[in-house]
Amino acid sequence: MMSDFSEELTKLAGAEDNPETSEFSKTRMHFPWLQKHIEAVVTGGKKRKDFAQTTSACLSFLQEALLKHQWCRAAEYMHSYLQTLEDSDTYRKQAAPEIIWKLGSEILFYHPKSNVETFSSFADRMKNIGVLNYLKISLQHALYLLHHGMLEDANRNLSEAETWRYGEKSASQEVLIKLVQAYKGLLQHYSWSKKKMELSELDEDDYAYTAKSRNMLSQSSKTSTNICTLIKTPGVWDPFVKSYVEMLEFYGDQDGARELLTNYAYDEKFPSNPNAHVYLYEFLKREKAPRAKLISVLKILHEIVPSHSLMLEFHTLLRKSETEEHRKLGLAVLFEVLDFSGCTKNITAWKYLAKYLKQTLMESHREWVEEEWKSRRNWWPAFHFSFFWAKSDWKADAELACEKAFVAGILLGKGCRYFRYILKQDHETLKKKIKRMKKSVKKYTIVNPGVHT
Amino acid sequence: MDFPSTLRPSLFMAGPLGMTDGPDLSFMCSWRDALTLPGAQPQNCRDQTSSFAKNLLWEPSTPGPLPLVPPGPDPWDPGLAAQDFLFRGGHYYQYQSRVVLDVTEQLSRFLWDHGDIAFAPLGKLMLENFRLEGNRGYSKKVTIVSVKRLLQDLGGHQPWGCPWASLSRRLRRFSILGGPVLSRSVSLLMGRLLHEELATRWEQLLMDEAFTGGALAWLPGRTARAGQLVYPSGGALDKLYFQEVSVNSGGNPRVLEDPGHIQLRGPVRQVVTSTVQGETLLAVRSDYHCAVWKIDKQEPPAPLQVLQVEKGATGISLSPHLSGELAICSRSGTVCLWTPQDGLQTIYKDPETLAFRDPSPWRWADFTAHPRVLTVGDRTGVKMVDIQGPPGCGLLLFCAGAEAACQKGERVLLAQYLGQPGPASTSLHLICTQFSIYLMDERLPLVPMLKWDHGLPSAPLLARLLPPASPGYPRPLLLGGQGGQVQLLHIAGEGTSIPQLAGPPQSLPSITDSLSAFPLLEPKRQQQLQERLEAPVIGLAAAPPCASAPGLLLFQLSAAGDVFYQHLRIQQTSSLREPDHPAPERPASRAAAPPVDQGSTPSWTSRASARCSRWLEALMELSPTNPVWAAPTFSHRRFLGHMERQKSQETLAQKLQAAMAKGQLLRPGDLGTLPKAEPPPAPQCSQQDELTERLTKAWEGQAAAWWKRHQDQTSGSQRQSKRPKRRTQLSSTFSSFTSYMDSPDASSAPHSQDLSNSEACPQPPRTPPSQELTQELWAQGVQHERRQTLRDYMAKLPLQDNPGPVATPPSQTSSRQTRSFRQQTPVLSGSHPPRKKPRMGF
Repeated sequence: MMSDFSEELTKLAGAEDNPETSEFSKTRMHFPWLQKHIEAVVTGGKKRKDFAQTTSACLSFLQEALLKHQWCRAAEYMHSYLQTLEDSDTYRKQAAPEIIWKLGSEILFYHPKSNVETFSSFADRMKNIGVLNYLKISLQHALYLLHHGMLEDANRNLSEAETWRYGEKSASQEVLIKLVQAYKGLLQHYSWSKKKMELSELDEDDYAYTAKSRNMLSQSSKTSTNICTLIKTPGVWDPFVKSYVEMLEFYGDQDGARELLTNYAYDEKFPSNPNAHVYLYEFLKREKAPRAKLISVLKILHEIVPSHSLMLEFHTLLRKSETEEHRKLGLAVLFEVLDFSGCTKNITAWKYLAKYLKQTLMESHREWVEEEWKSRRNWWPAFHFSFFWAKSDWKADAELACEKAFVAGILLGKGCRYFRYILKQDHETLKKKIKRMKKSVKKYTIVNPGVHT
Repeated sequence: MDFPSTLRPSLFMAGPLGMTDGPDLSFMCSWRDALTLPGAQPQNCRDQTSSFAKNLLWEPSTPGPLPLVPPGPDPWDPGLAAQDFLFRGGHYYQYQSRVVLDVTEQLSRFLWDHGDIAFAPLGKLMLENFRLEGNRGYSKKVTIVSVKRLLQDLGGHQPWGCPWASLSRRLRRFSILGGPVLSRSVSLLMGRLLHEELATRWEQLLMDEAFTGGALAWLPGRTARAGQLVYPSGGALDKLYFQEVSVNSGGNPRVLEDPGHIQLRGPVRQVVTSTVQGETLLAVRSDYHCAVWKIDKQEPPAPLQVLQVEKGATGISLSPHLSGELAICSRSGTVCLWTPQDGLQTIYKDPETLAFRDPSPWRWADFTAHPRVLTVGDRTGVKMVDIQGPPGCGLLLFCAGAEAACQKGERVLLAQYLGQPGPASTSLHLICTQFSIYLMDERLPLVPMLKWDHGLPSAPLLARLLPPASPGYPRPLLLGGQGGQVQLLHIAGEGTSIPQLAGPPQSLPSITDSLSAFPLLEPKRQQQLQERLEAPVIGLAAAPPCASAPGLLLFQLSAAGDVFYQHLRIQQTSSLREPDHPAPERPASRAAAPPVDQGSTPSWTSRASARCSRWLEALMELSPTNPVWAAPTFSHRRFLGHMERQKSQETLAQKLQAAMAKGQLLRPGDLGTLPKAEPPPAPQCSQQDELTERLTKAWEGQAAAWWKRHQDQTSGSQRQSKRPKRRTQLSSTFSSFTSYMDSPDASSAPHSQDLSNSEACPQPPRTPPSQELTQELWAQGVQHERRQTLRDYMAKLPLQDNPGPVATPPSQTSSRQTRSFRQQTPVLSGSHPPRKKPRMGF
């Protein structure tokens, strides 16, 4: 009878378990610590071999030592952990080189007695254990050498990696090779810009000058092929794009640079990287592009990052624009910058807003202000114009307080606490300003007189 | 706000998680962040962070956290462990072990313990199908089964939960007969519910999402070194305590007076605080309620609002921008914003998950750098929602998928906005999963700015970003796992530089590391203490470092309601390079090597140990003796043997019939017979109770008094006659393990290590869990001068008629001993040795 229950329930549990376990790997949440629980409980069945047990224990000691910054102890454990390379379990055997590289490189990076030679020999050895990691390790090795200023070694490393092939070219290999090439390009760019510096010190009629510039030219063409392929792949490639554009610009290929930057900024497959738009804008600015063009670039940046520091520049562009639409946007841009908590103390933004509010109201575009104010009416007073801020702003930066007080007066009327607090303050140098402010607020406030908020 | 001018190269790919064919360019090495490219990064951010990279370390001043406040008066039950859930048999044919919930065992426990409930109605129904004596009767209409034969076959032997138990033909027939009534009604009805319950409890054991965010908060006080800890305590975590704490110059906290508390009607799951424009608010999430208080320095907390969440609340957060605004998430998929002016407002509603379909109803919400934009998260991703925009739309900030190179089965466990109240705002968000943490910038959605594999062995549900120790230093980010593990990451980079790890992350001691600071106890108490220290950590807070005292004080709250603290100092060797120092020439920078192995281990000070002893004393005074669980004994075979010997078969049959009619489970006591032959082994947990008491008294030197009292209770005359014999037996026992005591190896071995080893395997094949082990462990910790006391005491031990424990298998010894004290209790037992009692309540 009991066993009948058991059967029934095992079936029952099994029926619910099986789809779960099969799904477990795919759609269910995975708990890395699950195995530990199971191992603590299940006693029968297939047990892990002693070898696997000691290796995994060693790994956990090793990780613990790393997290306690005990590099010497970690190195000792690593010495023993290397046995995992001889694991008979193919899965673990395959995963081992990556773990060893990851932990080993970390130890060698921080170990007091380690040096570049040790690191390099370790990297060279690891590259050839578990060939799948060759590219990754080469790349990291090169970056390590770069970090230590060994540009030539790094370059040699990257060149070796570039030509390396193993089996069928997988997508991940392809990307890595592109990345390796791009870093090589970056290195070339580095030496190129060094030469450019030297060149700028030389006389143009010098014989050395022509030789050097020819040299540079050949280098730049190499660089371009190296970097070009990578930056067509979706991703964030800021350093590569920057240096490539610099080269293109130097050789007068403005169209190429523009195309590259436009593509980097506007390709849908790329993440919406604010820097892509910034680079494009800066390029266009250098090129002295028409204002409309600049505005259109910044408009998109404004949509992505309304708090960007370029937004104040965007505002000045819009302010000067002839179209009414742009001037209206100019107001919105300022309001949106000040929405962000990181910008609340930005005195330039407040100054611009105070000035522009006055200008807008003088030009009798009161509806623009009211439109912007509508969505902020219920939270800006507490966010910006509270009594707390009035006191602390005045204490910290009286000028900022004045600008804010003016804006508060315009938007909330002269009954507003922030405005009244600043008005009451007695300050030698700002006395005149405050008086003027009082006058303008009275004249331009969007709040009907007599109605207090 | 400044955006980093050059971002780290990274590949961007859209797609499901675990399917990335591309390489994971975030190399997962902490040193990756220390790397610099020549000319790729602005000079200013380079030289600052690289100087930290080598030797940034927060050094704990004690090897483990210390208790801050005395333990609460309510008892604490460690709850269910994995052993209570999982099927213990192995799976011979499966390569990977998988989770099999052991419903059978729980169900059979229920049938043993509450047979009257389970079988009463069925027994009545089937009465006419059984014959209690003689052979089976014949009837054309009904099948009649002979009980006697059946019981013989059952033989009392049913391995727990074994699906492959052998069946006799008769049993088979019986189960077919009884099946429709017995197994279906009970097993299906109960089994389904039980399985469901076990599954939820098991998931809770793996990760208790209720405590996401943590239930411990630090409220800064008037000075930098004083503040208030807010945390729930009490058996049900339903008392919210406000504990004043001041920190002295040495970094040690001092608890001021008795804490005030608020009694709530539900368990507190999350406590958040926020100080905006000088106004401090405290929000608390319970299972179905959320509440906000306003904290004034002088006055008691003033309640502002209580909100009821019908489907259950999963998260609460307070706005760092506007005082009084809070976001609440519900299991129904709704996120609401509560503001003092406008009251409650639904800002997002979607029962479906964001990126892909996931069954979890867990939802989360937090604020962003824009006061009107909130993040809404679930297990699959995090979305930014503009509450003024059209409902339902927004950009995905984080997506569990190829974009962040997520692994298979990776899910969001915690999403936290790292901005602090005030103008020093950031747009960074922390996303924690089981495998990694991600730092996301809300201006660049989907692309992680930083990724780090934390490798924590439990769910990281707690995180706190603290201000830097002094200006220019990286900010410590504390990451706490539910299992008590804490990691500290050094986050550098603000404004124009990329957020990055300044130096390798470090692990901090967990509460269990403090076990060695407590005085040694006898095993049962020791285990109790260990269980208490191993309680899941449900809260993490820190008194942030400041200029006057750069130390960091870390507080942890355990599920038992205990608060522990740990003081950390930033290591002296890590000093800031002079700002005007030129960018380090790389090969040269190696010359200044950090000291060999920075992790010098601190040791316990006498003050720390005294603190622990005091805490332990208070704990032991409180801890009640566990109710003694009587092992059920029920052996059909034996019982039948007695039955046959009985002369008055009639009365027995009547009794059986009566029992059946009443639906009772038959016990030997009911039949007036007590089994005499080999008593069943008792569970481990009950063996020590009387023993514990005795040992404790003996340790206190009151053994004689105790024994006398004990003797008065029992009828002493019979025992007294046996005493000389017993003494000789005992001394032989004793001599058998004196060798242990004198052996220097044994005494030098760390006792806690041994204990944990012995517990690592719940059912060791050699079954040594009883007396021998107890004595051995105990003896190891015994000081020399105490040994005589011990010997004297042992000589008085009232053990009886076992022919020497050395010869007997340990499990039997223990059972015999328990039996001797419990002869009167009617006991039932399966003949299989029961282990720890599963704590599933029925």
